[in-house]
Formats: sequence, structure tokens, C-alpha cells
Amino acid sequence: MGIKKITELSMLLALSVVLNMVENAVPIFNGLMPGVKLGMANTVILFVIYAYGFKEGIYVSILRVVIVGILFSGLFSPMFLFSISGAIISMMFMFVFKKIAKLSIIGVSIMGSIGHSIGQILMAIVILKTISIIYYLPWLILFAIPTGIVIGTLSKQLLKQFGYIKT
Amino acid sequence: MIKLLKAMGLINMNSKDFKLITGLLILAFIMIILIYIFKDNGAKAANVYYKNQLVLTIDMTLKTTKEYTVSGTNGDVVILYDNGKIKVEEENSPRHLCSKQGWISQSYESIICLPNNIVINITGIYAIDTIVK
Repeated sequence: MGIKKITELSMLLALSVVLNMVENAVPIFNGLMPGVKLGMANTVILFVIYAYGFKEGIYVSILRVVIVGILFSGLFSPMFLFSISGAIISMMFMFVFKKIAKLSIIGVSIMGSIGHSIGQILMAIVILKTISIIYYLPWLILFAIPTGIVIGTLSKQLLKQFGYIKT
Repeated sequence: MIKLLKAMGLINMNSKDFKLITGLLILAFIMIILIYIFKDNGAKAANVYYKNQLVLTIDMTLKTTKEYTVSGTNGDVVILYDNGKIKVEEENSPRHLCSKQGWISQSYESIICLPNNIVINITGIYAIDTIVK
């Protein structure tokens, strides 16, 4: 990995951490349902996946969760475990639906968002030893569609501006 | 509407995306319908857990209003019971997600206060955990 790429990826990583902070400071959907948010940091992850590749996407995604964990909730706190499991499942979903199902960036964004929800619910079932959280899943899927479209469109516009994709 | 957004270049979805969204909507609605079919209407009791330990069982068949206090990680958590429904009235956490959640009353619903390590589950069977004990 060249120095230029490392610098670019570090700046994108910093951006995703800042977006995470902004989102926590301005909870748009707060009160509507626990755990629902826009997922602005996913814009950066999608950008990295499309502009650099999946390996780089995984680096940025995992490092973002670790940095946010160190800065706010503390490493290996329940919040951190939720985020890391969400991030891993989300990356797996995005990989499958980008490479195998060959969806456009909007579809990939929606599946990434659903992956986050599923990862967090699985971790919650493990940590809290209660299955009843699974009832949130259909609602989280419904929320993932509009938020996924917004984030996917945003990432697409960004990629276009930077000249990574043409149409 | 979608055509307008497409013309503006704001929305760029291919037919696979539309299929995905339709599929997800159907899936979500099937799950919601299944949850409503298989819920057992009789919410009988609410079990309150602190760090996976049962600390309080509230009888949900009573037609009264009562306040309960349990201690969580960040101090006291005040739980309000009112005629078959339950909510977290007061708790100390960064985002107050569980007090903002409001009332729950169905047997599949739960309130989770992660910073306080408190879980409130409604069950259809009264005090099953105490019987098991």
C-alpha cells in the first residue's frame, strides 16, 4: 500500500469517525425507535468499497468501530460489541450483494444497513440472553430502505464528483 | 415521483434494486404479520433483569398504577406500571433511549437499558422464572 493511499484512507477513516460523532450529537430519529439512525458513516465505507476495494473497506470499517469505541463507549463495552458485530455482518452482506447479486450502489447500501441491524440484533441476543429483540427486525428492515437509498445516493454522487464512476 | 427523481439524477436504481426493495418490503410485512399472529395477547407479567439476573416481577393483570425502583449500573431506574402497560420513567444514561421508548404492553415487547444493564421483558406466563427457581 503506497503512502498516497494510506493518507487518503486515513483521512476517510477520520471522516467516518467525525460523521459518527455528528450523528450521535444530532439524533434525527431519536425517540422514534431505539437504535434507528441514518448511518452517515456508511457513506464513507461505501465510498471506500467502490473507490478502493473491499479489503480497504474492511480496514476502514473495523478501525472506525475501534476508534469510536476507544473515544466514547470504551473498548469491549456492550456498545462496542454491538457495533463490531454490526460492522462485520454489514461488510459480509455488502460483499455478497455487490459481488454475487451485482446490485447497484443503492441496493448494496440498503443491504449494508440491514446487515448492521442483523449483526447488532445477533449480538444483543448473545449478550442480553433474550430472543425478544428479534421482533425489532422487520421494523429495522423497513427503516433500512429509505435510509439505504439516501446513503447510497449520497455515496454515488460523491463517487461521481471524484471521478470514480461515470454514470 | 420516482420518474421525476430519476430525471433529476437524484435516484439511480436498476431493476435489481427495485426487486430487492419489493422483496424486502414483502419480507418485513410477512414478519410483522407473523409476529402479530403468534403473539399471545395475555401479557401477564413483566420480568425485570439486571445483568441477566431476575430482580423484579410485575403482575400485569392488576388495574393499578405503581412505581417500582430497581438499581442499575448508573443508579436507580424508575419503572412505572399503569393498568397493563409499563414504561421506564427515569434512568441515568447518555441518550435516555429506554425512557424515550415509552409504554410497552404486548407479550413480545421489551425495553432494554443497555447503559444500566436492565432488561424488561413481558411474558405471557406469570412468574415463570420464580417457578423455575
